[in-house]
This record gives sequence, C-alpha cells and structure tokens, in this order.
Amino acid sequence: MVTDKQKRKVAVKGGIYKLATSPGEKDYLIGSKCTSCGAHFYPKRAVCVYCYGQDLEEVPLSDRGKLWSYTIARQTYPGTLLTPPFVVANVELPERVYVTSLLTGVDFRDVRIGMDVELYFFKVTEDEEREVFAFAFRPSSGQK
Amino acid sequence: MKKPVAILGVGMTKFGRITGRSNTEMALVAGTNALKDAAVSPGDIEIAFCTHCNQGVANGLRVFNALGISGIPITNLELACASESRGVFLAAELISAGAYDMAMVLGVEKMPRGMVPTGGDVSEAGYEARMGLTMMPGAYAARVNRHMYLYGTKREHLAKVAVKEHRNGSLNPNATYRDTYTLEEVLNSRMIADPLTLYMCSANADGATATILCSVEKARQYTTKPVLLVGWAAASPVYSKDEPGLSDSPVDLLGKKVYEMSGAGPEDVDVAQCHDAFSPGEIFVLEDLGFCPVGEGGPFVWEGNTEIDGNIPMNTDGGLVSCGHPIGATGGRMIAELVWQLKGQAGQRQVKNSKMAMLHNEGAGGANVMMFKA
Repeated sequence: MVTDKQKRKVAVKGGIYKLATSPGEKDYLIGSKCTSCGAHFYPKRAVCVYCYGQDLEEVPLSDRGKLWSYTIARQTYPGTLLTPPFVVANVELPERVYVTSLLTGVDFRDVRIGMDVELYFFKVTEDEEREVFAFAFRPSSGQK
Repeated sequence: MKKPVAILGVGMTKFGRITGRSNTEMALVAGTNALKDAAVSPGDIEIAFCTHCNQGVANGLRVFNALGISGIPITNLELACASESRGVFLAAELISAGAYDMAMVLGVEKMPRGMVPTGGDVSEAGYEARMGLTMMPGAYAARVNRHMYLYGTKREHLAKVAVKEHRNGSLNPNATYRDTYTLEEVLNSRMIADPLTLYMCSANADGATATILCSVEKARQYTTKPVLLVGWAAASPVYSKDEPGLSDSPVDLLGKKVYEMSGAGPEDVDVAQCHDAFSPGEIFVLEDLGFCPVGEGGPFVWEGNTEIDGNIPMNTDGGLVSCGHPIGATGGRMIAELVWQLKGQAGQRQVKNSKMAMLHNEGAGGANVMMFKA
C-alpha cells in the first residue's frame, strides 16, 4: 500500500528549484552566479549577458524579496495547474533577479508594490506515485 | 548616412473573422491591392518577405506564387507581433544599400481561437507556463501596475486610450471591431488581468497586408511624389542592471536613432502608429518616443492629445485594439494607414497637412521604429 510518506516529492519542472531530499536541507530557487563579474540570473543560464563569461555556478537564491509588480490573473490556458483568479507577482530578490510567482496569503485588494514577501513551497498536485511541489511567495512574517 | 527608400504601394484586406477566407485568398487580396497601388507588375519584384507566425513552413512560397511571383528570393520571417515591420526594416536596409531595387513584404495571419500562448504546448512548456503564470496580458498588466505605482497613472487614462481606439475604428471600414464605448463601459468591461479590461485589449483577427518598397531612383519612374521611408531602427529586448530581468526593447533608443536619421524631432511628427496590443501601450510609447515627459503619458492622453484632431494623432485607424491583431500582418496595417494619411487618402480619419509619420511596432523578441515623409 502506498502512503503519502512513500510518494516521491518532485518539482513541476526540473532545474528551476531544488526540493530538499533529507532532513536539515532546505528547498530553494536555483540561480546562476557569474564567477567573472558576479551578476546573478534566474532562471539559471550558461552564459553571462553582461561579460559573456561561461563560468556560471548554480547558487541558491534568497528566500525573501520585495514585490516589484503584480497582476490578478482572471483566466489561463487549458491544462495549467492553477485555477484563476490568483495573483501573479514579480518578486525582486536582493541578488537583483526577478521571479514570476504565485502570490498567496493576501486579499487581492491589499496587494501593494513594495511589500516584503517570502518564499515557500507547497504541494500543487499529486498522483499515485508522486507529490508535485510548486513554489509561491506570501507576505513576509517580518523577521529577517 | 543611409539613403532613404520609397514606399511605392500598400494594400490590405478587411480584418476580422471571416469564415471560409483562406490564408492564400487574403494574401491575394492584400498583395494585389499593393501591386495596383504601386502600379507595378509581379515581375518587377526582386526580393520578397512573407511575415507570419502561425501559417506554417513554406507559406511565403504559397502566397507569393498565388500572386504570380516566383524564382526570386522569398523568405519567411517571424518576430511575433513585430514581424511585418521587421520585414520592411530588412527590405529597406537592402534597398538603401543598393543590393536590390524593389521589394515586397506581405504579412498574413489566420489566427486560432482563444488566448495566444507564448510558445508551444503547455505540457511541454516551462514552469511558469505549466502553472498558468504566463497568461497574456499578465506580464503587460504587471508593467502597467508598475507605471501606475511610479507615476500615479490612473485607470481612467488607460480607458481613455481605448475609447479613442474604438472611436477611430468605427471610422475604419477595415477594422474588426467597430463599436464605440464610453469610458465607463471600458472600465466596467470584463477584467482580464488587473487593471486591463476586455475593451482595453486587442483580440485575434485574420487579415493580410502588403508593402512595396523601392529605391528613390526607381520610384521616379512611377510617381513624382513618392512617400519616403526616411528613418528606421530595430532592436531586441535588453538586459539592464537598472531593472531586474529582461526589459522590453529599448524603444527610447530606437526613437533617438530614427529622429537622428530622419533629421526630425517629436515636434515634427504629424501622425503616428504605436503598438497598442493593450491600450496602455500608447502611454508607454508616447513617453519613450519623447512626445511627453516620462511619467506623464497618462495625463497627456487624458487631455486628448492623441485624438485625430489632437497634437499627435495616434492610431487613427483604431490601432490593434479596434482593428484586431493578425500577428504577422499588423505592421503592414500600421504602414498602410500612415501612407494613406501622408497621401491624403484617409477619408474620415484624415489628419490635416500630414507630412511626417512615425511608426512603432513591437512584439515578443523585438521592436521597430520608423519615420515616413510625404
């Protein structure tokens, strides 16, 4: 009998974020850092657009940022995992990258550009063998 | 300095969902209209571009052959919503450099129903697409919200543009959507992605457009007063350290290049076309091209400056919002309207004494800016 504990924890798509596989590990968003000029990118990439360096290392990105902008999606394409309406946020992380993400935990009318937000991961769907995890941001709990 | 190029003829079909009208039939109408307008024979065209996004491999061969054109270099070109103006940009570069004397650019699109995905099947797509975060006009709406936050732009300003587009479209027999709406009706129409409502958004339509360009010397064989393309510039989106992520194409830089190339400034422009896939686009472009200071686009349109009788009439044919958006054929519609304005052939939409006309056409992957002169 397969219980929830035995299901594999997988991402919606590989290469965007890393899910913890053992206790003590954290889930994180995957970015690239150019070892030549220090620029960060999300999602990860192979060539730096500023200095054309090809030595980019995979790094975990910050899990807190600010809301750069947003909209409220009222319709989506067929086959998507989220059901409208929901907030689509553009979150700016301290590394100067921006992440397009679902934003939860706040009434649509209370969303404000500039608000502090924090990253979290949640189960978005599952099947018999796997639990599929996605990420989202929510208003920061206020602690740094 | 690059030599200017002549626009010898333009042509287009009515835009809209007209059942039973094939891609080739539309191309035949637009192409024939352009050839007649130019008074050239299909055999005079030396190089051709077919601009489209969804019409399939070898579409250029099909549509140009239907017009009787064969043998010459025919190339399919895609740059999303900016495909056709990019085709004209490249044709202009070739003619200006003396490589060819006469070119034809034909845009045609028979659109699918429903929302346009930004690439491929959802199940094959990236994380954001699979989640549903990439819906259009989501990214655009976020940009509008940022503009409202930075500059105090109001929803009424966005809606005012849409009111104008729809009113202009009611004067344009080729537009898909010819109903007019009040400001309240625009604001209260169905919300698509806050703050963009239905009547602020362009919708899919089928259509075809064509432009014939030639060298200025060649043009004199056909007309004593050719419309000239005197400035052109193109770019792709850039990475900027000032703003996180991939910014849009640097329209302000393209504007500066075109002003320099054409020897004109914003004050010299009599009529213009900009890419209003969503009505706030007009506000951004007015600022980028220097028609008003950055941040003041909202009040600028609110005061009626972009009406047909305003200081800088914009999208006199109703723009994308009212004409509809057959993706690969939109650039040619813009060019046709500007040429008609410069030749005094714009009927009820005519802007008096039009001598200089400016174009901005933008899509996923790039933007093109041009200046035309009567």
